[in-house]
Order: sequence, then structure tokens, then C-alpha cells
Amino acid sequence: MAKVVIDGKELEFPDGTLLFDACKEARGEPLPHFCYHPDLPIAGVCRLCQVEIEGMPKLTIACNTHVRDGMVVHTRTEKVIKAHKQILELHLINHPVDCPICDQAGECGLQDQYMNYGLYETNVCKDDKVTNPKAVVIGPEVILDKDRCVLCSRCVRFCRTVTKTGEMGIFNRGDKAEIGTAPGVELNNPYSVNVVDICPVGALTSRDFRFKKRVWMLKSVDSICPGCATGCNIRLDFEADSIFRIKPRYNEDVNGRWMCDSGRKEYKSVAAEDRLKVPTANGSEVDWPTLFNEIREFGKPGLVITSPHNSLEEQVLGQFIASEICGGNISSGLSDSFKGNADDMLVDADKTPNRTGAGLAGAKEYSAAELIEKIKAVDAPILIHSNDFDGNSEISTTLDAKTVIYLGTHENEISKQAAIVAPVSCWAEKDGSFVNKHNRVQLFKRAVARPVAASEDWRLLADLMRLWGLSDVPESMPAVRRLVSVRVSELSNFDMNAIAINGEIPGAAEPDDGGEG
Amino acid sequence: MSRDSKLHRWHHRMNFGESLYLGEVFRGMGITMGHLLKNLFWTKDMPTVQYPEEHRDYSNRFRGRHRLMQREDGTEKCVACMMCSTACPSDCIHITAGEHSDPSIEKYPETFEIDLLRCVYCGLCEEACPVDAIRMDTGIYEIAGTSREQFYVNKEFLLNDNQQGTL
Repeated sequence: MAKVVIDGKELEFPDGTLLFDACKEARGEPLPHFCYHPDLPIAGVCRLCQVEIEGMPKLTIACNTHVRDGMVVHTRTEKVIKAHKQILELHLINHPVDCPICDQAGECGLQDQYMNYGLYETNVCKDDKVTNPKAVVIGPEVILDKDRCVLCSRCVRFCRTVTKTGEMGIFNRGDKAEIGTAPGVELNNPYSVNVVDICPVGALTSRDFRFKKRVWMLKSVDSICPGCATGCNIRLDFEADSIFRIKPRYNEDVNGRWMCDSGRKEYKSVAAEDRLKVPTANGSEVDWPTLFNEIREFGKPGLVITSPHNSLEEQVLGQFIASEICGGNISSGLSDSFKGNADDMLVDADKTPNRTGAGLAGAKEYSAAELIEKIKAVDAPILIHSNDFDGNSEISTTLDAKTVIYLGTHENEISKQAAIVAPVSCWAEKDGSFVNKHNRVQLFKRAVARPVAASEDWRLLADLMRLWGLSDVPESMPAVRRLVSVRVSELSNFDMNAIAINGEIPGAAEPDDGGEG
Repeated sequence: MSRDSKLHRWHHRMNFGESLYLGEVFRGMGITMGHLLKNLFWTKDMPTVQYPEEHRDYSNRFRGRHRLMQREDGTEKCVACMMCSTACPSDCIHITAGEHSDPSIEKYPETFEIDLLRCVYCGLCEEACPVDAIRMDTGIYEIAGTSREQFYVNKEFLLNDNQQGTL
């Protein structure tokens, strides 16, 4: 342990702590910085985080210094503040005044530092700026503006140490130095958009989000990526009723600060053209009371088919219906569906977010032949709460002969032939939880509104339970979550209504402390 | 009570001359005729403006209907930074940004619409604009239309038409 005095505060840190982190704790806010990133190796190139250490002849950068016992550090003296200002001015010499057209404006490190530490009239002639190429497409997802770059090298270090692909580098020297990809190489790795997140300025921006929205207009909601079984923690950025982008949310135990590029596109299905928007019965649009009358006439279902894309709460309601009405006849779809490539970082081979949750709820997976047998054996209507059989002609032809009550979000073969089609909500339009491949139960929250005539999944399932004469139907989301603990034995001692923001593993020796976010 | 008597001064007692009314009627007619003759022969002094043939002069700083400024080649100066729609207190400016074919311009407004019925003519949009693309110096205050859609003016109109109030 090392005792350090920072700005008059005496604090103790374990040996090997970076002075930067120590200063952050002592000051309550980080030192100004561009190149320092907690998940990347130290570069020490931006020179912004200089502090005064007693006994040292010159100012020292905090990100490349370890705490030492007896260190006395000053971070707010006149000398330090002057240094911050001057270094920032050097950074700004060749930086274009692009803020009006820069997508980073509003979340830009340079803007923030300038407002916090700069605020001066520049000493540098505006017309002398060194200019570099703008709007250079360097990969399928990322666009580079060399003019805006401050050469912090975060993206270079990310590609070298995190993805280990090493596409990017700094070329030339002095004021001719520029960031770029190696000749003939594209920034085309499955994690490439993370360089956009770590870029402190607007040099690297996302092509998908380019010019879509100014960032200060966006609101954010914590969510979970539905793209694979890893369950990366994400933030949905939305305005009014459209989602504009997905950003990773820090969770040390799941995804750290990263997420994959394909996960960032998951929001596109929410506003897709082929969303189911109105309830239909026998092919014609009806209102909900008529729909319920039709369902009542068809009678109770004999088989429930859920999906590993459904939330844990919906899985349990499906299991409730199956066990009370269909004699436990429930399936969560095909065992070999939604498999893909995995890598050693975040992407999992299982492309569903909640296969573990479906298993916990007691829904079994079958091969296509087994599922077809199951469907054929049932005479009563079949309740399908799943979008998963799109393009599977064998199953859709089998279902064609049956009465299908279909709860889904997107149009597909089955929705076209089903007797009853009830539109429900996408994952971004409802609350719920997914259980990831490591049994971590993680909450996702509603961001945008569902289509006007669509229903919230748990409400619709609860209404159907009432329609079919079940008792003890939950009336609210907390009640559904209490029901989860009642009906899933693995979760019997687990409070679904008090899950921490970073998710929790039921039955883990000690509940997670929730992390720092 | 003295306060009341002050308030209701018209309750004072008329004297004999006033109670005959006739003299007062002619006095009133005299004032009316005086104004009539003055307005007939000294029309310039009349405060009424013969609208719509005549218009009152407004200050140069008067904030009239907006216009969008053009570059020398006639394209819009606007770079779709949305500062105006951010500053707008009545949320009446709607812009969709697009990628410009000229890489030195990069960003331009694909659509730029102002809902003139929502606008409160506060001038914060021109104040916020970093490239002097929107101005309210047209002096147009006659903004009339026969449907709500006409007040929803688009980019082409704001760029080119600086005579009319609405589409």
C-alpha cells in the first residue's frame, strides 16, 4: 500500500495503482486526457494529464506514473492549470472548426476539455492550419476524418491489443503525422465500431449513424443486446419513437467496454417495414375484443411454442399456460436454429439472447422432425409466441393444417397463414430480462413505444390466461417477476424485482456488488 | 366615500345649458366635422395607413419571415448542424441531414422545413446559426394561407422565394 497526498487529501492505494486513477478518486473527476483509456495500454502521448509531484523538477503525466509511498501531488495549482491550457492549445492548432458538421459534437472530448480547461483566444493564425483528407472511408462501418484527429492513438492500440488485427497506425512524423489504415488494409474486423466509441474527437465516426441525429437530441435507456447468448450490456440511444444507435455499456463481468458490430445493428429490426402492426383474424384486420372472441371460439391450445428470443418473464408465462392447459406440452423451438460463428472475445455461437432462460422455464428444444411430430399430434389450436420459423418451409407447411394463434413481431410464413395474428412488442419496446450463457439474469428496459395497435407480450399472455379460465393471473410486471421465482425452482430464492444494473447470477456465492457502471 | 365620488364623476349635476342637450349635440357634431374636414384635406397627417396599398415602414431589425441564404453557386449555405432547431423554443424547424456529393461540404440539409404557424419569430435560429444560413430579414409579415399545409414551408421556398409569406 502506498500513502499519497493528492491536493491535500491523504489517501491509500495498492502498489502499482496508476497515479491517473488515484487522482480521479481524489478529485472526484478525471484529469483532462485523450490518450489514457482504462482498457488499453498506456501511451502517454497526449500530455494533457500533467500533474505537479513534489520533488520532481518538471510536471509529470499522471497516466504513466505509478503511485509511490509518500508522494505529494498537486493537480489544481496554477502551474498545472496553465500546462493543461497550453497543451490543449497545441492540440487545437490544426483542429478544424468542424463542430457544426461533426457527429461527435456534443460528446467530444475536445469540446469538453476546452469548456473545462481552455476558454482562451487562440494565438495561432486560423489560415495556417495543416489540413488532411476528410471523410475517408476506411472500412464497412467506420469513416475517418484525418483533419480532426489529435493522434491519441487509442484506435491504434485498440486494433493492436484488443482485436489483435492491427489495421491502424500513425504514419509520417511531426505535423505531417496522420492516422490511417495500413496500405491496402481495411478496418474490417467484427469489433471495428468500438474505435468510434473510444475516439475522443470526431476523427472516427460510425457510417451507420453518420448525420442521422445530433447526439444531444438523443435519450438513453439501459438494455441488453439480443444478438447472441453473451448478453452484452448496451445503451439504446433514441429520440421520440426511433432508435438511432446502440452503444456498449460498461459491465466488467460481461462485455467490459466493448461490443460487436453486428450487435449494433440489432435496433434496425424494431422499425422494420415488415413489423406486424394490427391484429388479424382469418386474414382480416380486427380489433382486440373481436380477436379475443375468435380465440375463445377456437378453444384452449394443446401446444405452446415459445422462443429463445423471448424474455424470461414471457417464457414463464408460456410455461404457466402450457402446464395448466396443455399438460406441459411446451417447446422453445428448434435446437439447431440460430447457430453461427463464435470468436474468443464476445460473439457467441448461439445467436439467441435467452436460450438459458427458456431452459430454466422448462421449455424443451427439439429437432425439426421431432417438432413436426409434436405439432402433428395436436388437434387443439397451437399457441406460437415466436418469430423463429421464418423460412422453415417444413414447419410452416405442417402448421398450415393447424389452427395457429400467433403472437409475433414481424411478418413471416406463419403469420401469413395463422388463424389469429396478434402483434406484440420488440425487445426495445418492453421491459424484461434475459439469462445469458453464464446464467446471468440481466434486465432490459423499454426505450420506444410499440406500434399503436400492438400489445405488450406479458399483458397479452395474461389476458389469454384469463380468457382460458386460469386463476392467479399476474396483474403487473412485478407480479410476473414474482411468478418467475415461484415457477422456476432454480430461481426460487432469487428476487427478480431487485436485480442490479449489471445483472446477477442466481445462486452465486455472493450477490454481485453491481459494479461501478 | 370621497373615493367613490371621484370615481363616478359623471354623476355630477348638469347645469341648465347642458340639460337642454341641443347645444352639446352641435358641439359634438362640430368635433366630428372638424376631424372629417381635416382628414379630407390634410390626408398626410392621418394615422390610418391605406393597407394593403400602403405599408407601414418597419425597422431594419424587424424579424419577418425566414429565408435561407445561398452560396455563390445558388446552393444552400446551411450545413444541417441543427443548431437552429436545437435553439428553437417552439420546435418549428425540422431538418434531415444528408451526405453532400462535394466532400469539402460534407453535410447539407436534404429537407429543411419551418412550420410558420408554430414559429414565434424570436430570432434565436438566426442567432444560433454558425454559418449565417438562416436570416429573418425579409421583412415579410403578411403570412397568410388557406390551409395549414401552406404554412409548412420547405427548403426550396425558403431559398428562393422572398416575396411571399407562405407557399
